[in-house]
Amino acid sequence: MKKYMSIMLVMILLILSACSNKTAGNDEKTGDSKNPAGTITVWGWDVAAATMEAAVKGFQKKYPDVVVKVEDFNSSDLYDKVTVGLAARGSGLPDVVLMEDERIPGYLHQFPEGFVNLGKLGYDQYKDSFNPAKIAAVQNKDGDIIAAPWDIGPAGMFYRVDFFEKANIDPNSIQTWDDYIEAGKKIKEATGAQLLPIDIPNYDGVFQMMMQQQGLSYFDKDGKISLQSKEAIQAMEVIKKLHDEDLILNNKGWDGIVTATVNGSVATVPYGVWYAGTIMDQAPDLKGKWDVFYLPSFEEGGTRYANVGGSSVLIPSSSKNQSAAYAFVEFFTTDQESQLLGFEKYGLFPSLKETYSNPIFTANSEYFNNSPIFKKFADIVDQVPQINVNENFAKATSLTSHAQAAILLENKSVESGLKEAQQQLENEIK
Amino acid sequence: MIHSKKLSSKVGVYCLLIAGVVISIAPFYWMLVGSTLPSGEIFRLPPKLLPGDYLAQNLQSLNESLGFAKIFWNSLFIALVYTLVSTLISSMAGYAFAKFTFKGKNFFFFIILCTLMIPSQVTLIPLFEMMVTFNWLNTYQAIILPTLASPFAIYLMRQNMKSVPDSIIEASRVDGAGELKIFFTVILPVTRPAMAAVAIFLFMSQWNSLLWPLITLNSKEMFTLPVALSSLIGMARIDYGQLMLGTTLSTVPIMIFFLLLQKHFISGILGGAVKE
Repeated sequence: MKKYMSIMLVMILLILSACSNKTAGNDEKTGDSKNPAGTITVWGWDVAAATMEAAVKGFQKKYPDVVVKVEDFNSSDLYDKVTVGLAARGSGLPDVVLMEDERIPGYLHQFPEGFVNLGKLGYDQYKDSFNPAKIAAVQNKDGDIIAAPWDIGPAGMFYRVDFFEKANIDPNSIQTWDDYIEAGKKIKEATGAQLLPIDIPNYDGVFQMMMQQQGLSYFDKDGKISLQSKEAIQAMEVIKKLHDEDLILNNKGWDGIVTATVNGSVATVPYGVWYAGTIMDQAPDLKGKWDVFYLPSFEEGGTRYANVGGSSVLIPSSSKNQSAAYAFVEFFTTDQESQLLGFEKYGLFPSLKETYSNPIFTANSEYFNNSPIFKKFADIVDQVPQINVNENFAKATSLTSHAQAAILLENKSVESGLKEAQQQLENEIK
Repeated sequence: MIHSKKLSSKVGVYCLLIAGVVISIAPFYWMLVGSTLPSGEIFRLPPKLLPGDYLAQNLQSLNESLGFAKIFWNSLFIALVYTLVSTLISSMAGYAFAKFTFKGKNFFFFIILCTLMIPSQVTLIPLFEMMVTFNWLNTYQAIILPTLASPFAIYLMRQNMKSVPDSIIEASRVDGAGELKIFFTVILPVTRPAMAAVAIFLFMSQWNSLLWPLITLNSKEMFTLPVALSSLIGMARIDYGQLMLGTTLSTVPIMIFFLLLQKHFISGILGGAVKE
């Protein structure tokens, strides 16, 4: 018996020591800010990671001593990993990480020391290369640039050309949300299709776009909750009117939106520019039948612009090779070629303004009814209103979605629904 | 009269049963059909109910984006090694707790039961830090080792070992068998149903596990199936056909494993039902 035990113990020890042998040999040279060297790891998601991977070639021409390892996760998985890593005091984190803009304030709030101040490393010089709304989104509360701006999602109204023709409606005639509702009624009569998909209890993206048109998020410039403002009420009224006319297709989640886009049950989809890529991917048969116009405004001549989505790159403070990480971040976000590459291949819309004059942007798109849709989006980038997105964004989103459900599905009045959401949000962030 | 009443109630019962079967099989069938269609076709209205001819392309693109063979191997290797070792450990521990008397036996068993009550979220971050310190990120052992001693499995095995009569063990001792020999040749064979149940339970939990492998694995070549499938869900683009195919393929081993052990499993469930 004892003999067996001792043999087993020895074996366990052997296995353990064999495993831990790998520990050595991680102390690579890192170089300095002039000549960065060593290996860095970058985390991104699907198409973004693919773009990063493709950008590495150009990067290494400039910095031959840096090896870049790109690792690809689904975005919500990536946030799980980043959260665990930050909670574990930075262990296991990469040197560069991609993040959606709306997520950044939450992380900065929870882990104020979690990420490197890029402004300090010299990123401030690029401030004017991007649109102001984007720059505002990547700064912390003290105005330091924490994330390097990468892609953005100027919003527009994707619409079915054939449905509009059948109902005899000129998309250019739609100036305000009221025009939009009127057009929707006619289209429904002529084609049977509803006007737009909204996952009523879970998605308040349309409300968000309407708020941004009016210069607000769920918060105003001073951080006060704006769910009871006249802008919020006005926006929710429009959504309610759309629902009263039975123009909203209440479809579940992202898959619901895609389904509606492919099978012709809706005539329009208000979304960020990147949705163009999804339409082309999932509905190759509808070539020539989609096009885009700007979001309607609340008054004639009012702002028609908003932004949906977009992401930026950050350097976790735990990175042992910050000089190489910064070199990559700087290159990746300010090199025209890398931006165009992501745009052309994957429809990722760069925030670097100098790219917009490139012929790829100004050309007509065959799929989209031969119209220059990307130029349309590029033209409005500078006019997208700056809004205040803070760490309570996610809470506000879910509360507003609930309010939307209560108003549309349970017949609550717009005022009381929003009032309740406001109060609940106040309680939660106290 | 009575006859027809019986018949009609039978018809009712069968209709209900058939409806139940359809409801539980339909999603599965849809997954199978989906794996043979290109992504856009899946959203067609009315839906296509017959398999399409896109299986080969889906397989090819799945393999291109994941390297499916390697990932399948990762999952299988981890789940099998884990199941094997963990079943052995838990039956050994269960045997010790059931049949031996030693100092602190009840105390240790109590401690083990207590760990059942700790939610896994609590240990996630400390455990992760530990893996980082060992430099075990992105390795098989980081996934296999931490949960190797499963309190639930130990508990289950102990309860089953208890029903083995002491006299068998004593008889073997009298015949001169060593303790290990008794364990492997006398105890294990009689508790086979319980072991099968534990093995299925452990295999399924490891095969389906997402969060821990996701946290510890970084490179595509090391991903397990759930992590890899999850990585297929893109930000704005999802190739649904590919995803459906991957999901279909990932259910196959579980089915095989379950079918292999099914006989033991069912007698394992019934094992404690009636005491005679």
